Amino acid sequence: MPRIINRFSLITAFLLTWLVLFGGCSRVDHKQSALDPKGLVSQNQYDIFMLSVWITIFLFCAVGGCLLFVLWKYRAKSKEESLEIPAQSHGNSKIEVTLILASTIILVILAIPTLQGVVLMNRVPDPNKTETLEKLGLDRSQIDGAITVNVTGKRFFWVFEYPQYGIVTANELVFPASKAVRVNLRTEDVIHSFWLPKLAGKMDLMPGQENFLWFIADKEKILSGESEADAMPAVFDGKMRQTVFAKQKFTDEFEPVGGLFYGQCAEYCGNSHAYMSFRALAQTDDDFDAWVELYQSSQNPNLQPATYNPETDYATGDTVLFPDDSLGEGATREYRALKEIAKGEAPNLSEQSWVKKHSDDYEIGKQLFSSLQCVQCHAVNRTGIGAKGPNLTLFGLRTSLAAGWMRNDEESLAKWLRNSNEVKYGNLMWNGEGIDDDHPLRNLENEDKVVDQLVQYLLGQI
Amino acid sequence: MAIESLKYVAPDTGVKTETKTFPRPGQHASGLVDWLTTIDHKKIGYMYGLSALFFLLVGGLEALLIRSQLWSHNMEVLTNRQYNQMFTMHGTTMVFLVIMPLSAAFFNFIMPLQIGARDVAFPRMNTLSLWCFIAGGITLNLSWFFTGGSPAIGWFGYAPLTDTRFAEVIGDMGPDFWVFSLQILGIASLLASFNFITTIINMRAPGMTMMRMPVFTWMTLIVSFLIILAFPAITVALAELMFDRTYGTNFFDFLEGGKPHLWQHLFWIFGHPEVYILILPAMGIVSEIIPVFSRKPLFGYGLIIFSGAIIGFMGFAVWSHHMFTTGMGVVATSAFSILTMLIAIPTGIKIFNWIGTMWGGRIRFDTPMLFALGFITMFMIGGFTGIMHSSVPIDAQHQDTYFVVAHFHYVLIGGALFGLFAGFYFWLPKMSGKLMNEKLGKLVFTLMFIGFNLTFFPMHYLGMIGQPRRTHSYNEGHGFETWNQIATIGSFILGVGIAIGVYQFLSSFFNKKLKAAGKNPWDARTLEWSLSSPVKEYNFSRTPIIKSRDQTWENNYGPRDKHSQKEPLDDHGIHMPDRSWCPLITAVGLFVMVLGMLFHQSIGPAGELVRNYTVAIGGGAVFVLGIILWSMEGPGGYHLFPKESEE
Repeated sequence: MPRIINRFSLITAFLLTWLVLFGGCSRVDHKQSALDPKGLVSQNQYDIFMLSVWITIFLFCAVGGCLLFVLWKYRAKSKEESLEIPAQSHGNSKIEVTLILASTIILVILAIPTLQGVVLMNRVPDPNKTETLEKLGLDRSQIDGAITVNVTGKRFFWVFEYPQYGIVTANELVFPASKAVRVNLRTEDVIHSFWLPKLAGKMDLMPGQENFLWFIADKEKILSGESEADAMPAVFDGKMRQTVFAKQKFTDEFEPVGGLFYGQCAEYCGNSHAYMSFRALAQTDDDFDAWVELYQSSQNPNLQPATYNPETDYATGDTVLFPDDSLGEGATREYRALKEIAKGEAPNLSEQSWVKKHSDDYEIGKQLFSSLQCVQCHAVNRTGIGAKGPNLTLFGLRTSLAAGWMRNDEESLAKWLRNSNEVKYGNLMWNGEGIDDDHPLRNLENEDKVVDQLVQYLLGQI
Repeated sequence: MAIESLKYVAPDTGVKTETKTFPRPGQHASGLVDWLTTIDHKKIGYMYGLSALFFLLVGGLEALLIRSQLWSHNMEVLTNRQYNQMFTMHGTTMVFLVIMPLSAAFFNFIMPLQIGARDVAFPRMNTLSLWCFIAGGITLNLSWFFTGGSPAIGWFGYAPLTDTRFAEVIGDMGPDFWVFSLQILGIASLLASFNFITTIINMRAPGMTMMRMPVFTWMTLIVSFLIILAFPAITVALAELMFDRTYGTNFFDFLEGGKPHLWQHLFWIFGHPEVYILILPAMGIVSEIIPVFSRKPLFGYGLIIFSGAIIGFMGFAVWSHHMFTTGMGVVATSAFSILTMLIAIPTGIKIFNWIGTMWGGRIRFDTPMLFALGFITMFMIGGFTGIMHSSVPIDAQHQDTYFVVAHFHYVLIGGALFGLFAGFYFWLPKMSGKLMNEKLGKLVFTLMFIGFNLTFFPMHYLGMIGQPRRTHSYNEGHGFETWNQIATIGSFILGVGIAIGVYQFLSSFFNKKLKAAGKNPWDARTLEWSLSSPVKEYNFSRTPIIKSRDQTWENNYGPRDKHSQKEPLDDHGIHMPDRSWCPLITAVGLFVMVLGMLFHQSIGPAGELVRNYTVAIGGGAVFVLGIILWSMEGPGGYHLFPKESEE
């Protein structure tokens, strides 16, 4: 009796696990699912994976079935039988050789697409080779118009630099859905790994070495029948942020937003490794161009608002800095021209020609951003290459905060500013070099007003 | 050990050399002195096994804490640093303090019995290996109590995270403990391996040709070679890391021109053979068990051994498959990918041959056999996912996700640990002299099998839907919760199973109600089953002359010309060596030296770095003294004259 129970439990436990697995696999479009490829490279990886799955399921059934058969057929059915002495055969070289050959053939079946896949992962197809492009279903323009992103991993966030456009952002990689993206990977501290499951697989960021991967999104899969504008909300006008906030509470079950992809650092890099995620946002060509333009104008030092110059004519929408003592001694405030303004018309609100660009809280927050030393690590409206912390240019357009860990809204941002160590223990904003208990950042816990003003300023970066 | 009935005779003129310069505890040493000074391979095996089982419980507890933390999103059972320490310690403990020493316990206990030897070639070296292992285990776990706590660097300690520049606690000593404990453990493994190789090459009974050796002994030999070839790589890597951390060299510090890649290559040139160091002993055990419970000789004996050797050999040619995502370029990744796939062939051969062994047999489902069958099926799944990872594009998704975690636990628990548990159920009657409770054994198997699959099967899926490994927490909305909960429940079932198993192993030595095992309770085939259970101090009263493979079986069922004979009696008796304090002194010296190195730095009154090597040098002196005493103490010893029946 116990013998039967054990054989029975062995088999059922096995079958059950498999069944449960297949039952659970009914949904695979999770945020970071590698089973839901949306790009050429990841699709290729997925296809080879599925090939290996079918090969191994076949092998498992064949070998496992054989094992079960043997166990059943040759079990000792009684005490007497268990004492019998069967024929003492020592082996059979023909069977052995056949099985070795068979396993070799099966491995070859897997090896060929593997080698092709290695090449595909590592090299962007040559745009001059029409045949290759055709086979991959690519158009020459998709390769020719490829964009390059230099990714720098830092504990515990990501820097995304676009050398073609001279702009730098952090933690949210915006890219055109119809173009290939070359990603150069670097790190400034320990090893990280750039993992973007739905688009590209992963590649490590090795100190002292530049690694490379590339991906190209499959536009058809992102659109899945919808129109472009609905499927891929634009980033530059804040629509992406609104859609993400509306469609998914940050913590809800994964409700897909078109063009929104989740990525994660996949090589253990220290205390807050788990919090080092990022997002990639696919855009239509037009939206991407608009985003780049907006970004360029934000980070172009020549386009930053200058102090008001009475010798200059100003056009509608121009911004100037003008002293405003209500914000503190020597402080300036941004004003926007409401109409064409000739030389010498100093900002004067009563004349309806200049208007305050931002609220008082924003302006005070801006000053606090400097006086509380935030600016030592964070760049706003400049590229700030080499800055220790994430670039916060156009921060108000971002969907997430703290390297993808929180939703980028007022509440979370306030929580983050009050005590970031509680949210993301070990983060370098709280624990980095030169930050001790006297640092103003560590004393924001109960400063409601200050925190609010900083939030106004940061989320006002749009 | 019952030695009262044996008569003791002073050495005659023919054995005058057995004098001793220094006192060595002799035949009548008992209690603590006996255990501290023993050079008996069986007692060393017990101590290896016992400490490894203890560490299994420690590592298991760490695993349960890890699983509790992952129960749901944003759990706060552990802080992230504690979690990172847990998985580092769990991995290091399980690899170096559990699976390897458990294998060593069986090597020690079983291998000499299988080749008809009275002990290993260098019994005192064997003792030193044991104490070094225990010193290493203590060193590693001492780290919990000092600055920074345990290391939080992962079990493969990737540079440059181990660099002091990236320490997240000022003056973090964890990695130092890790480095030094692995160095000592390396010494332990190397000593044991040289010993086993010498033993197997030189001390086989007459007639025990290489191709008559039991498969387990063959695997001992192969694993020992793997260890002596693989450990130098990590020894070098650890020494470099020690210099980087202690003296400011920059082997791995990229800012000064060091290469983090160098660490990965050195580590995995050790680390991949290490995987086979962990699994081959279990394969050897299973290759012993399946023939016994099928009542047939091993199918394709030669091929099984050859494939074991091939696996070991090729294990040195595939290390870079751990580094597919580190940017090695198209050619290197492709080459390592194909080589890795090739390893599947010898592994497959083993599985085919085990099934071939059962074919046409009379299969009994006793506990050892159940564990062996569990081994085959679980290892098969682990092997299949291994084939998947050998393909670079697949690995680009799987690397560092829970899919990989599932893979290596299928190989190391479903494989190695199940194999070792099979070994316990199989050989413990030989060790303790008592049969274990079959029902309890089957309960342990059922709990472990179900718990294990519940824990690790869902991890394949979790990895595929995006859960990265080594993350202490995950956000809501990824859909990870349900499967993690199943895994956590499974891990507790597995934990209960293992705990009952360990209890059963220990109690088999003390439980008086258990039935006596007799010489050969399973009607098994190899030489150790011709001895009494428990085995006498001297193993074989007269050295057997071997006539065939599966000697015990042939003695029972084979033709007359295949029966073993015994060497003739002489009046010299059996020379038993005396016990020795020297290995313990040497190991303590080493341990003190390591502690001295760990604590030699302090901050002086003016804030300057003060180095004080007094303790380290003192420990080193004791270490050297131990070796000098060792070489001078002389063999000593006593003679036993057992009766024919007492074997």
